[in-house]
Amino acid sequence: MKRLLFFNLLALTVFATSTSCSEEQDFDQFDDLSVTPTIASSIFYLESDEQFINTATVVTDFYSQTFNFDAFNEQFVAERLLEGMIIYEFENTTSKQLNITVEFLDETNGILDTENFDVDPNMPESFSREVTYGPSGKNLNILTNTSSLRVTGRNLSDTTSVSSLPEPKIIMKSAAEFLFRLK
Amino acid sequence: MRLGKLFLYITFFGASSLCSQNKQLLYDFYEIPQSLMLNPGVKTLENWHTGIPFISGLSFQAGTSGVTVNDLFANDGIDFTTKVRERVLDAMTKRDDFSTTSQIEGFNVGFRGKNRPDDYYSFGIYGETDIIVYWPKDLAILAFEGNGGANIGRNFDLGDLSLRGEMVNVFHFGVNRKISNTLTIGGRAKVYSSIFEFKSTKNSGTFATTQGQDNIYANTIIADMELQTSGVEGILDILEEDTSTTQKDLASLFAKRVLLGGNLGLGFDAGFTYNLNPQTTVTGSVLDVGFIYHSKDIKNYTLKGTATNEGIDIILPEDITNLGVDLWQELVDEIEESVPFDDNDKGFISVRPIKIYGSIRYNFGQAQTSASSKDCNCLINTVGGGQNEDFYRNSVGGQLFLIKRPRGIQAALTGFYQKRFGRAFSLKTTYTVDKYSLSNIGLGLNLQAGPVNFYILGDNLLSYQNIADSHYASLQFGFNIISWNGN
Repeated sequence: MKRLLFFNLLALTVFATSTSCSEEQDFDQFDDLSVTPTIASSIFYLESDEQFINTATVVTDFYSQTFNFDAFNEQFVAERLLEGMIIYEFENTTSKQLNITVEFLDETNGILDTENFDVDPNMPESFSREVTYGPSGKNLNILTNTSSLRVTGRNLSDTTSVSSLPEPKIIMKSAAEFLFRLK
Repeated sequence: MRLGKLFLYITFFGASSLCSQNKQLLYDFYEIPQSLMLNPGVKTLENWHTGIPFISGLSFQAGTSGVTVNDLFANDGIDFTTKVRERVLDAMTKRDDFSTTSQIEGFNVGFRGKNRPDDYYSFGIYGETDIIVYWPKDLAILAFEGNGGANIGRNFDLGDLSLRGEMVNVFHFGVNRKISNTLTIGGRAKVYSSIFEFKSTKNSGTFATTQGQDNIYANTIIADMELQTSGVEGILDILEEDTSTTQKDLASLFAKRVLLGGNLGLGFDAGFTYNLNPQTTVTGSVLDVGFIYHSKDIKNYTLKGTATNEGIDIILPEDITNLGVDLWQELVDEIEESVPFDDNDKGFISVRPIKIYGSIRYNFGQAQTSASSKDCNCLINTVGGGQNEDFYRNSVGGQLFLIKRPRGIQAALTGFYQKRFGRAFSLKTTYTVDKYSLSNIGLGLNLQAGPVNFYILGDNLLSYQNIADSHYASLQFGFNIISWNGN
């Protein structure tokens, strides 16, 4: 009798615990997950005092440099870049009318795009410009093909005057905020 | 990806055979020999026992203190990304965790001393896997939202990354001694043989993007992070080779490490059972007080240092000589030098996750006199000795469980009722509150037919209404052969 009870209880408990209820689950939903972080970082900072502009100006250029910039060119980044913008900010306390250009160059130094900034003299307050890339702006391929940047500073005024503002200098700041698709 | 989903499904369902890390049903259920593993000083009445190899104690448990499978994967028509944002990113904190524990008893044998019948010896082998991952809240938000937009100025805590996992084989030998009619004590020595371990639990630091001093933004990282691994590289090397002998090589590696070929350690358990009076019993035990010294197959990764990035900067005229330099690469090199990602093979000691059990039990329902009980060899709670023994068929009481985890001590409180129907059948029901559930009702059954013992312990039974919506489910069972009182 005890043995019969034992095996009946055994069968009942194993049966009861091997079955359970669950609402319907759909694991394929994971494929629908969208992860699109916004990444922000500074790119380039240029500062020059007025004395250097006066002494370094050759014809009109006082500064020109090409430097590698592969941030957007990396395969991982290039494949996932969706949209974003580059922000440029300027302060000019010199007495000079200046022109700053930023050229986006590909691997063969071909020019993909140019940003041109005319900066008025004696302007202590900063002004900024946002350049968007993606569906509502310039083509993203400009960035994904960029291998280097060329920044050129041109002095459109004389080479002798000095501003009356304290520590006169031109400052250029730049940063990027971009949307990526991680998944 | 499909395998990953399947693993996720099985893990969170905790299907078939499962057991909670906190074995509140098994604790002090002294009719089951496996209760010796939770309190070496538990009352022992059997003459000898032997577990059926590999099926005397099988357990698997997975738990989540935050989101459940159903919260994310229910077929409810809600956008999955919205569910992840609302139920995971916005709702979970860094104290929430995902954990899984499994245990397989290789064999478990016990016998009473021939010359010292008050001593009961037990020994065996079991394999255990334990993984806990705390929700890295800030890092998850950083990955999901990025450092731009509304997160400018936000400090992301790198210390949110905390995880630990291991697979270990344990050889044990224990002695249970009845000191007097009121006190039983016990101890168990353990030798650990680690198969693999990984832990990253002492991380600290921050990552933030703020208004720059010179440029528009400044990205600042202060990092002191480390991931320690032992035994993992060997397994990964075999998997990466992916040859026709991969499975065989893996099995051989596991077998070697199971049989004391892995990183070794020592530990002990201790416990007692004490009768305050004929009807009241207190018990207590401390388990896995020990360590493993990892010196073989070590690979540790570190990320330590401080760096602030405001992009490439040219300040004229000072930097006029830098006109021909690869400024971007220089910036990258500078950051890598300030916050290097290194690896090393320094050995380390890992402390076992200590567990503490305690209980107080009140026995009642006096049923039979000592004479008739002895005749029937009924397995009922006996106290006292000599001529005046009392037998109780019912017990009610409370239990406390504590376990040391990377982010502090986790606790569980249990109330229980136990009923004994002679030797053939005993039943224990519990109500437990802990980090994972406030509605955990469990039921344990112990069945004895002759020498054959079968036990089945089911935890969190209310979750079976919708197991996918459960924070964990639990079931443990096993088969033993037990000899009682010379039979």
